[in-house]
Amino acid sequence: MNAYLLRRVLQMIPTLFGVVLLVFLLFNWVGGDPAYVLAGKFSNPRDIENIRHQLGVDQPLYVQLGIFLRQVITFDFGNSWATQEPVSHIFLSRLGPSLALMIPMLVLETLLGVVLALAVAHVRDSWIDRTLTLLTTSAMSISLLVYIIVGQYVFAFALGWFPVQGWSSTPQGWVHYAVLPILLGLAVSLAPAIRLYRTFVLDEIHQDYVRTARAKGVPEWRVMLVHVLRNASIPIITNVLASLPALLIGAFLLERFFSIPGIGREVILAVERSDFPVIKAVTVAVAVATMVFNLLADLAYKWVDPRVELS
Amino acid sequence: MSVFPLPVALFLSALVSLPVAAADMPRPPAEASPKVLNVEIPVPETTLDPAAIQDLYSAQMASVIFEGLLGYDYLARPAKLVPLLADGMPEISDGGKQWLVHLRHGVRFAPDEALGNKPREVHASDVVFTLERLLDPEVHSPFSFLLEGKIVGLDAAARRAADQHAHFNYQAPVAGLQVIDDYTLRIQLNAPDVNFGHALAQPNLGIVAPEVVRHYGDQIGGHPVGTGPYRLVRWVRGSALSFEANPVYRKRLWNFDPGTDPEARRIASRMQGHAIPAVPRVEVRVIAEQQSALLAFRKGELDILYLQNKLAPVALDGRGALKPDLRKLGVQHEVTTEPEILFNYLNVEDPLVGGMAPERIALRRAILMAQDDEAFIRVIRKGQAVHLPYPVPAGVVGHDPAYRSLLEYDPAAANALLDAFGYRPGADGFRRTPQGQPFAVRYWRQSEGETREFEELYKRGLDQIHVHFEGHPVPFPDLLKAERACQVTTRLGAWIADYPDGDDFMQLFYGPNTHANNLACFQNAEWDAMYRKSVTLVPGPERDALYHRMARMLETLGVAKVSHTRLHHMLLQPKVVGFRKSMVSAVAEWPFVDLQ
Repeated sequence: MNAYLLRRVLQMIPTLFGVVLLVFLLFNWVGGDPAYVLAGKFSNPRDIENIRHQLGVDQPLYVQLGIFLRQVITFDFGNSWATQEPVSHIFLSRLGPSLALMIPMLVLETLLGVVLALAVAHVRDSWIDRTLTLLTTSAMSISLLVYIIVGQYVFAFALGWFPVQGWSSTPQGWVHYAVLPILLGLAVSLAPAIRLYRTFVLDEIHQDYVRTARAKGVPEWRVMLVHVLRNASIPIITNVLASLPALLIGAFLLERFFSIPGIGREVILAVERSDFPVIKAVTVAVAVATMVFNLLADLAYKWVDPRVELS
Repeated sequence: MSVFPLPVALFLSALVSLPVAAADMPRPPAEASPKVLNVEIPVPETTLDPAAIQDLYSAQMASVIFEGLLGYDYLARPAKLVPLLADGMPEISDGGKQWLVHLRHGVRFAPDEALGNKPREVHASDVVFTLERLLDPEVHSPFSFLLEGKIVGLDAAARRAADQHAHFNYQAPVAGLQVIDDYTLRIQLNAPDVNFGHALAQPNLGIVAPEVVRHYGDQIGGHPVGTGPYRLVRWVRGSALSFEANPVYRKRLWNFDPGTDPEARRIASRMQGHAIPAVPRVEVRVIAEQQSALLAFRKGELDILYLQNKLAPVALDGRGALKPDLRKLGVQHEVTTEPEILFNYLNVEDPLVGGMAPERIALRRAILMAQDDEAFIRVIRKGQAVHLPYPVPAGVVGHDPAYRSLLEYDPAAANALLDAFGYRPGADGFRRTPQGQPFAVRYWRQSEGETREFEELYKRGLDQIHVHFEGHPVPFPDLLKAERACQVTTRLGAWIADYPDGDDFMQLFYGPNTHANNLACFQNAEWDAMYRKSVTLVPGPERDALYHRMARMLETLGVAKVSHTRLHHMLLQPKVVGFRKSMVSAVAEWPFVDLQ
């Protein structure tokens, strides 16, 4: 196990270097010269040169790449070019609101998705299954944007159940401001989760061991919740863990429409402003998180199913 | 079957109960307070360091925290300079080269830990520090142009620091900034400039305390300490800012000049004598989406809303008046034109359309005459703009409402002009140069955003005069870079007033500003001489006549054609009184309004 872990960790290094190289090349080839944006509308060549020097973009490319690598190793990306706010502070302060949305959404999506998938798989081909299939297909066909615009208008404005927008970091404020965005996000993400998990459950429900369990008189709830669910868990865990890195980039549309100061909105702003330190930090963080969660998923397989060999 | 009803019931009950629970929650304290002004900005602020600010909304925030030596009368139209931290208007001598400024006594910076948590009086040395800082290369202020080349010795000091990549030496005296005593400062300019007062009135020259700047270092943008009517008490970056009345703010009363404008007189009669600021707390929220902002306004969560043009049809009828549902709520509507110009320019250094040969001038004029400004306003601006042929927009000192363009939309005349100068159509229907070569006019635009529509309309104009069109979308930084290098053939440029004087617009075509903000790269000795003379003239008939000749020359040489200026709609809750859109976009109106 230790050898496996060590090998996987070592494999992350070249992968991360590839990500760093790709981001660096993309920014330098298509990102444009940030000095022209930062200099303002009255800039002259001397101003531009001065800013390029201060940003370090007048250095040879290999020097800039070396600085980038040092930042990755120390995870100190300096200050935002646009706001001078430390990138670490941007992460720390924006991640909270994003997680306050995304974690409840992910937990509810997973719990409700698994429960409903088990339920409809259990009554497959009944009118309930067909109705839910129709509903989830319809729900998946509608853009998140429509959910947000209509949901904000109906539930926040017309019915007045929620505030139209805003944010507060207190627990009371969280309940006040986050519930509607969470419900709308859930409305979008739940449908594909149900469809996907239903498929996983159906793959198991026809297996011999299920028939054997039923033949032995095991109660139906135990068949579904213990035997079937345990075996369907591997793809479910894969799906959940694969979506965890997305927590780091937030839910851009929800954050934008509901004025939530999350990391998703910050990433889009950074791209619009050619704010390379923020872009670098987010990209590296997401890459690292993806690799770590992939590793965790592999370890979870072993935990769920001891027959899995990690080699 | 036994597992189905429970989760569904739980889910449905959660869906039903959560909204009810949320509706029962008490509202945040700020919204329950009786005198809180709730406003929004559509783009997150960046910094609150006055010198480093380049975006409009950060400047508005800074304008209520900091004060400059001068400001603008809130009601006067066109804009009128008034003293803020200066004790009276500066005494100008030596033909406009020497400015003697007296400071008010007793004006204090708000308490801050960098000041030992005590207020500190503003002295002339703070003003000198503030002026020098705008040119400090390490600050790389986007508004350094306000002082560049103007104050004796200041540019040399800045250049020394830049060339040596060293810190700006604030201890070294600058010849043009002479502190006479704690309350008196003499500014010596390199050349006469009677409009220098506009520079001193910009929010970017809000007076800062050196010890505060030193204390916070590169994080000064997050710790604004000024002398203005408000101080920042809470800041969730990119989301919300809370301001409270500055407890050490000098006693200041509403006393503005409404002129003869009936609406301004009505506001003045109601507000004169009110304390500034009248509202003790202001909550600013960043609301990026207009739908969210409009719904929040209609729900009463916002008191003032800037209605962006794309959403205007939702709130306004075809005649530009408020729709009945908003009228019924008593919502107030104020519409003004932006102090800006949008103009099509042609690069005078371009190998195809540039130069001063008669056929090149004819080509440029024909291209400009093929552009239908009214169609642009109708199709792209959805009617939320007005045609403006003059380079100085309405409300800005030097505007000429009677000016008529020589280059109004007239494709027939444009075709005749091209025919006369030998641009004959080829077999493919597109014109050739007088030498018989095929050519295409390259229209540059930003690859992001709405500018694709601009391109389509521009192409339609060129199609009408049988000139081959070539669209050229590029990322915004590349566009700026190409413009500075005089590589952009033509595009729709925009300029919003930094200060409400015609000079801010006329300098867009001044030869020495090529490779900076003279986007057409227009360099003409006669025009430049007129511009230099205009800088020495106080606003009035003589300068207006000069501006008129300069504007005409831009048209006769086919350099640029001013197209339009956008309308600015503000929606106000019935309880808001005393509001009038500021002539300087970077100056927030909140200190001057009250809530009934």
